[in-house]
Amino acid sequence: MVLTAIQSTLRSSTTYQQLSDRVRYARQDLSGAVPSIPGLPYLYISPFFILFGIFLMFPAAYTFYLSFFDYVGVSNNILLSIQMGPVVISIPEIANLEFVGLNHYERLIFRDSLFHRSLFNTSFIFLVQVPTMVILGLATALVLDAKFIRAKGLFRTLIALPVATGLVAYSTIFLLLFNGEVGLVNYVLEQVGVGAIPWLGDGFWARITLVIAVTWRWLGYNMIILLAGLQTIPEPLYEAAEIDGANRWQKFRYVTLPQLRPVLLFVIVSSTIGTFQIFAEPYVITGGGPSNATITIVQYIYNQAFLQLNLGYASAVSVILVVLVSIMSIIQIRYGSEE
Amino acid sequence: MHTQDKQEALWKFGSYIFLLVVTALVLIPLYWMLVAATIPQSEFFSWPPQLIPGTYFLENFAALQENVDFVRSIGNSIFIAVTYTILSLILCSMAGFAFAKYEFRFKEPLFYFILATLVLPIQLLIIPLFLLMVQIGWTNSYLAVILPWAANPLGIFLMRQNMKAIPDSLLESARMDGATEFQLYYKIALPTMLPSLAALAIILFLNQWQAFLYPLVILQDPQMFTIPLALADLVGQQRVAFDQIMVGTSLAVLPIFIVFLTLQQYFIKGILSGSVKQ
Amino acid sequence: MAKIDITNLRKTFGDDGEQIVAVDDFNLNIRDGEFLVFVGPSGCGKTTTLRCIAGLEDVTSGTIEFNGTDVTDKRARERDVAMVFQNYALYPHMTVRKNIGFPLRLSTKQTSEEIDSRVQNVTELLGIEDLLEKKPKELSGGQQQRVALGRAIIRDPEVFLMDEPLSNLDAKLRSTMRTELQELQQELGVTTAYVTHDQTEAMAMGDRIVVLNGGVLQQVGTASEVYRSPTNEFVAGFIGSPSINLFTAVVDGNTLTGPGGFSYTLEDESLVAGRDHVRVGIRPEDLTLSESGSLPCEVTVVEQMGNENFLYGKMDDIDITARIESEIRPSEGSVVEFGFAEEDLYLFDAETTEALKTKTGETDIDYDQYTQTKSVS
Repeated sequence: MVLTAIQSTLRSSTTYQQLSDRVRYARQDLSGAVPSIPGLPYLYISPFFILFGIFLMFPAAYTFYLSFFDYVGVSNNILLSIQMGPVVISIPEIANLEFVGLNHYERLIFRDSLFHRSLFNTSFIFLVQVPTMVILGLATALVLDAKFIRAKGLFRTLIALPVATGLVAYSTIFLLLFNGEVGLVNYVLEQVGVGAIPWLGDGFWARITLVIAVTWRWLGYNMIILLAGLQTIPEPLYEAAEIDGANRWQKFRYVTLPQLRPVLLFVIVSSTIGTFQIFAEPYVITGGGPSNATITIVQYIYNQAFLQLNLGYASAVSVILVVLVSIMSIIQIRYGSEE
Repeated sequence: MHTQDKQEALWKFGSYIFLLVVTALVLIPLYWMLVAATIPQSEFFSWPPQLIPGTYFLENFAALQENVDFVRSIGNSIFIAVTYTILSLILCSMAGFAFAKYEFRFKEPLFYFILATLVLPIQLLIIPLFLLMVQIGWTNSYLAVILPWAANPLGIFLMRQNMKAIPDSLLESARMDGATEFQLYYKIALPTMLPSLAALAIILFLNQWQAFLYPLVILQDPQMFTIPLALADLVGQQRVAFDQIMVGTSLAVLPIFIVFLTLQQYFIKGILSGSVKQ
Repeated sequence: MAKIDITNLRKTFGDDGEQIVAVDDFNLNIRDGEFLVFVGPSGCGKTTTLRCIAGLEDVTSGTIEFNGTDVTDKRARERDVAMVFQNYALYPHMTVRKNIGFPLRLSTKQTSEEIDSRVQNVTELLGIEDLLEKKPKELSGGQQQRVALGRAIIRDPEVFLMDEPLSNLDAKLRSTMRTELQELQQELGVTTAYVTHDQTEAMAMGDRIVVLNGGVLQQVGTASEVYRSPTNEFVAGFIGSPSINLFTAVVDGNTLTGPGGFSYTLEDESLVAGRDHVRVGIRPEDLTLSESGSLPCEVTVVEQMGNENFLYGKMDDIDITARIESEIRPSEGSVVEFGFAEEDLYLFDAETTEALKTKTGETDIDYDQYTQTKSVS
């Protein structure tokens, strides 16, 4: 959504609109025609911006700041004191901090093996889960887009049902499904002769469990987006390709894929961002285990910050996460918008 | 010709099989949740597993309620999600209206700035928000969960996009009909935006309903737990049985399913408006 | 009802950097109960002027008075004006009943019963009483148009403003609505300012017509005045369909010599005394085929209209249009000659484009004698 939002805004601000915009500017300049309410637009936006400033802008900036400090404890120091007649407004310091420079980053990058572990686990989930889900979601959307399929609405509704399932709620279901003793999955596997798999007891299988769970939750979501994308492809394109002698695969390769490219790109980028922020699933299903085989980056941030109160150190991890996700998104957008 | 017909039939058959398998895989976990929530605990550990829903939902619920105050959690979740949704709708629609229909200084830079913050993951904000809430003594309060994301960048973006579609003449017409400037917002703009508001409301409600990490950090008192926190807490306490967890999960999931099935078009509009609409 | 006086109106768009002058030095008195039509090409400032009268636009300088009261700084809702927009601007979330009643609910203290009965009256007047519970999207273009009119009428305003209200309708409906609008306006007697880009519509509807170009008032007058006595070349060219033929001629004593062999000897030499060049205008309907006319023309196309033919041709590189009898169809490529009466000849200053001579002949009949004189006070 971020990409498309920015793209569309850029597109609408081309020079050809500038003149008409200037006319609109004058037309809607109500401060002239409506002299009694000059600052009205600011009145409309200020509630939003007050909350936005306190709870979004300030924390985002403060995280960067905090990543160069060690958290010592709650502070009682007064940072700023404003005397207004009899009333004194004092803004206390937010925390008692100790400057450590780049120490956190140095330790994270070169010495913290648990952080490296979480990086590996998250990347593993990303590398297996995103391609699986995109291919599966695309296949489902393609089948649902086919003319001959009946009861499309019903299928679409049922497959999209997990969209309405909360993250923790669905995680508890998967915790139960993949339970070694009473889980349905192992029961079925034993019945068909494959034998039980130590889903939550083995590092590799625990990661696979997470991949399956995340795919289940987000398949319908991505299917809806891809289906909407498919439906915007003009029918005459397919007809022209058919007249040119294209078979089913060639129509997919030379009509569907290029036309779907921006939508596919959105699905991939948003899924990437999503998997790098995964938290509820490992927290509930695997607890990060066995022996940290499934601990993710965000889980590591949570543990460092709120279990061990290394708030400065955890902030540095957050910063690295943001940088990492940004780089990944930029690479994907660059690569994806070629041609 | 004949073989082509055969191929075509095979392709159709294969497509249906694929669709049915995907649908089944999606539905089985939900079905099993219902089974687990409705059978007595004794049958739960039987082998082979029970595959048909039972009638023990209320008994299991009573057992769950004995362990944790789940009703209270449902109440907390509803109160937080509803208040948050209403507050955010007001903030976003008002600001979106100004961005869509008025001109003012710094309009473009302000809007681009909000857009840029769409990329900030919540993990980046949680630590300072925690410190802030500790400092002002808001931990374990509803307000601490409701306020921070009420100024929602996605919300203001969607509202602005949709309100741009309101013709200027509609607002001018209302001005000539004697509407005050504020009436333009709540008597003209808001009512014409109902479908978009509904779609945004669903996104906001759902986000807050399933929010986990931030409430986990801010709410430590079990009395204040939302449903996801209560569920995670149950999972943490190994002594609590799965059937009770599944009762809680069902209660978290089924109301949303009903809303999903009745308001599906707005759900889908919401999902799409956040992505490919532009 | 109101008379409107606009004095030295100026309206510019844009900030200090680059200003666009939409209306400049505009003076106009709209009479009480008059149907006044603003006409001109797009971007001529007609809509801006209307919006200034409405109070939707702040004026850069100048004053607007309703019945002698200065309303320049008043907002739209304080001016007691009603406006019909090109796209009708019906509130999509309200039924027809609510749409029409909306102004009353906002601006008066009437009870809902009173409002309801007013809505009933207005819809009966417009013949849309069956549509009261419908939403705008369920209505046809013509029905939406009537609802928009109803919403304007119900307030019994001092002034009606209409911004191209018919341009979204198809041709047939447009002419029906044109008549209906005129009848309605006469019945209600409310001062009306009407904007259109269509000169035919302007001629057909307006008690008087205001011709604008480039933000500057060109002429105010009745249909017959702007047609017969345009103040300049622009008005002559804009009013009348097909458009007037225009070209430059060299003056030599009493003889005008033009491109492609045009030559005409004036009876009244004083019209062009002291000039080298002059712009000549002759309306297509005033050209007659003649064996030795003064305007030779090579035929390119003849369009048959049924009752008459439109002849398009070239005189050197000047396009010439003539309306000729339906029986006559000169073949393509042939050269014909046209003559005209001097009383139908228009002459304009070559530099300023001001009119030097317009139609001087008497109209055939005194039409006022045959029409019911509308009281315009």
